[in-house]
Amino acid sequence: MKRATTLAIAATVGALVLTGCGNSGTVSGFKAPAVPMATSLGHNEGAVSILAWPGYAEDGTNDPKTDWVTPFEKATGCQATVKYFGTSDEAVNLIKTGDYDVVSASGDATLRLIAAGDVAPVNTSLLKNYGDIRSFLKNQPYNSVNGQMYGMPQGWGANLLTYNPNVVKPAPTSWASVFSPTSPYAGKITPYDSPIYIADAALYLKNTQPSLGIKNPYALDATQLAAAVAILKTQRHQVSEYWSDYLKQQQAFENGDSVIGTSWQFIVNLIAADKKPIKAFVPREGSTGWSDTWMIASKSKHPNCAYAWLDYIGGPAGNAASAYYFGEAPANAKACDVIATTDKDSSFCTTFHAGDEAYAKKLWYWTTPVSTCLDGRTNVKCTTYADWTQAWTAIKG
Amino acid sequence: MSTRPRPPGPRTGLLLLPPLLWLGVAYLGALGALFLAAFWTTNEFTGDLVRVFTLDNFRELLQASVYRTITLRTLGVAVLVTLVDAVLALPIAFFMAKVASPRLRRLLVIAVLMPLWASYLVKAYAWRGMLSTSGPLSWLGISPGYGLTGLVITLAYLWLPYMILPVFAGMEKLPDSLLEASSDLGAPARATFRRVVLPSVFPALVAGSIFTFSLTMGDYIAVKIVGGPTQMLGNVVADNYGVANNLPFAAAYAVVPVVVMLGYLGIVRRTGALENL
Amino acid sequence: MRDHAVSPSIRLTNVAKTFGSVRAVDGISLDIADGEFFSMLGPSGSGKTTVLRIIAGFEQPTTGRIELAGTDVTAMPPFRRDVNTVFQDYALFPHMSVLENVEYGLRVKKVAKAERRSRATEALATVRLDAHGDRRPSQLSGGQRQRVALARALVNRPKVLLLDEPLGALDLKLRREMQIELKEIQREVGITFVFVTHDQEEALTMSDRIAVFNEGRIQQVATPRELYESPTSAFVAGFVGTSNLLSGAAARTVIGREGMFSIRPEKIHLTDVPDGASTAAGTIRDVVYLGSANHYVVDLDAPPDASGASPTLTVLRQNLNDDGVSRRGDRIQLAWLPEHVIELQPPTEESA
Repeated sequence: MKRATTLAIAATVGALVLTGCGNSGTVSGFKAPAVPMATSLGHNEGAVSILAWPGYAEDGTNDPKTDWVTPFEKATGCQATVKYFGTSDEAVNLIKTGDYDVVSASGDATLRLIAAGDVAPVNTSLLKNYGDIRSFLKNQPYNSVNGQMYGMPQGWGANLLTYNPNVVKPAPTSWASVFSPTSPYAGKITPYDSPIYIADAALYLKNTQPSLGIKNPYALDATQLAAAVAILKTQRHQVSEYWSDYLKQQQAFENGDSVIGTSWQFIVNLIAADKKPIKAFVPREGSTGWSDTWMIASKSKHPNCAYAWLDYIGGPAGNAASAYYFGEAPANAKACDVIATTDKDSSFCTTFHAGDEAYAKKLWYWTTPVSTCLDGRTNVKCTTYADWTQAWTAIKG
Repeated sequence: MSTRPRPPGPRTGLLLLPPLLWLGVAYLGALGALFLAAFWTTNEFTGDLVRVFTLDNFRELLQASVYRTITLRTLGVAVLVTLVDAVLALPIAFFMAKVASPRLRRLLVIAVLMPLWASYLVKAYAWRGMLSTSGPLSWLGISPGYGLTGLVITLAYLWLPYMILPVFAGMEKLPDSLLEASSDLGAPARATFRRVVLPSVFPALVAGSIFTFSLTMGDYIAVKIVGGPTQMLGNVVADNYGVANNLPFAAAYAVVPVVVMLGYLGIVRRTGALENL
Repeated sequence: MRDHAVSPSIRLTNVAKTFGSVRAVDGISLDIADGEFFSMLGPSGSGKTTVLRIIAGFEQPTTGRIELAGTDVTAMPPFRRDVNTVFQDYALFPHMSVLENVEYGLRVKKVAKAERRSRATEALATVRLDAHGDRRPSQLSGGQRQRVALARALVNRPKVLLLDEPLGALDLKLRREMQIELKEIQREVGITFVFVTHDQEEALTMSDRIAVFNEGRIQQVATPRELYESPTSAFVAGFVGTSNLLSGAAARTVIGREGMFSIRPEKIHLTDVPDGASTAAGTIRDVVYLGSANHYVVDLDAPPDASGASPTLTVLRQNLNDDGVSRRGDRIQLAWLPEHVIELQPPTEESA
């Protein structure tokens, strides 16, 4: 009963904050540099270079049956090369090389990319599938500036508390099982290796230490950040390894080197496919999560193929395949029907609450922390992502 | 007749030009550019390079205790790896140079060199398998897991040939009669080893340690693979450059191992071991 | 010579050593007396160095037994044996000073610093190198290094000093000086010296007794005089000094008996015939000028010897500048006293 109340409050606050930010359409003091937007499309250039989260652009190399890049190539004549990245920072860094046309960016990368002028505004009228995108994913503070969209939404999901049910008994219910200083699984805990993981600790503190006054895990003042850093430093002694390479995490879970930690549905599916014991869920405190948007690099050498890719991956077939494989709620409303028929999984979209706007607002999507507090506080300065980056180094020690 | 060498003619100069260009521009130039970048900074939000002179990176480096900790840890690992390799290399090299038959010696030299034929990554991942909780070491009842211990084991394995080879060469240069003389004068094996073998191969040992030490100082991949949550100097540099996109700070921190190695080489120079490289 | 009542300094009993299929030492028994200057002489590969190394303990004999002062040391490592060695290449420790080199034996035996310093300085003084204690071996000349090696061994006051061709690397003049010096030092310290050399002159000059080695065996053990005057085998006669071998038909014709004989060159008269001397006629094939003396190579008027070579005698005669009579091609009469004819043992076991 009490749990439900907490959750409800958390959800309301979260929704308020997000809406609050959404109304203004921008982080105050944030200015997007003028980058020209395409007004019409020409011929496809025959190639497109894709920078993606692992599992977003499968071309059959991991599993011959898992391939939605090849149909795109056949339909458009755009030869796709795919590069996967492990963290948002890596994506931000890689896009600066100018070697990539499109990137699947999470909320902790999008604004940084827009601010740096690394991505161009997207003319949604050139994307015929844009209309099918669920409305609560459009014109969000993390993918638009002043009502101008910067990409095609891909999908959203939660960072899951993942564990090996053969070892972790009884089944965990709370993030406490990875943050408790006396975890019975010390030495086998595997957190995500990115400064953004500090938000996971902040979310946990938000529920366990209300006196800290954390309202948004991405809006931490110095005291709140210090508290989050403190529990992460305690956790450090129980960590088997920090992961950013999904293959290494998969291997660590399968070999028993890690038994509990943060993971994604996509990796969980890979482990389950190897017939290894694995379970994942959203604990009672809620979760951090992601809402990803496909963006087009401002230095793109193949803008027409880039638009083609956005239209394809946001369209019913592409969006269904990638979201189903990755294990997230697809952004395209028609994708659910495709999954129900093609993959014969009618419960998928229900499981992932694909159309459930209220549920979607319960998750704390990765957002870049900035000095203007995202929770609306004006009396303090919040810590920035640079602070988080330094804190992360200090946490790992 | 003067024996002073003739100054190089234009032909010689021309021949030397390409390698000198390579050394000067590509080799040292890249290093110079890196150090220049250490005095720049980045825009905190967008990660863009800001080319304005600042000492902030070095200030941060000196003030935040975490970087000191990581530097000391890296130094500690480098020393440990070097010691482990020295302790392993001495008896192996001694056996190869002084005990084994010529045929066996050739086989052993090949055996020592063979791991160098395999890719670094393959070997590091092999050790990830070895050290895993369910890996072969655990069948023997030892499971160090991923962390500092596993890291030292893996790095010691990776760099061992670089220690054995110079020490082996040093041992080969050591005449048998010196060992016999020592024994003849009443020294048991241990005393002979300490007073004759060790001082004789010390320069070779130092030469080998330059490899093991500097390779460990710069490593960041093995740490990622078998180091568990451990951070080393190389990781901070790689993370700052590759993940946080903070090239200036990465460059500033990369100065640390260079300074450490220069200091080490300075000490080594006094032992005369550089002539053995 | 095995008539000492006390235990000999060194006793080897049936010592043999095989390297793979090579029998380097083929069953040697030997007693070396206390305080003796004993040389082991032989061509390279004759096993003399191996025997020395077996005494030092660097090699384990395949079979046999080694005693030092009556104690069986066969299984004892070198560092427990009361012997010290002067190596052919001196084997000085290059990373130590001269003084530290000399101190080494005392240091590893944990002799107190003050004592070992004074003993080492004293030992260096004996070899007249006390002024060079601070130098590195690489800064010394060959002869100086040799003396450091000697001091380093002697400072331990061993019962036996083994020397493995220690003068081999020195030039002739220095070598002669060192021979005398070594002999003097041996007399002074009064310990047993076992000296390995392939130089017969060196062995004859310095030794109390000499063992002549060939093919892993001892051919003869004797004083220098005995060895020279009465070699027992053709090998010894040939290796020690110049021998004039006569055998087979040549022996029958020249000596008048069956057997193998040798006459030393300086014992043969060229111009006179002493009373009771035997004679033989021949032709001078060659005259070799040696400075203080001349060598006359004379083809005898006799049938070929057992090996089919025509018999030849070499005659040594002091250079008195009266040799106008004896030129190449001259006919000549050689004469010698019967007691100077050495009868050698027939080579019965040579086939082994």
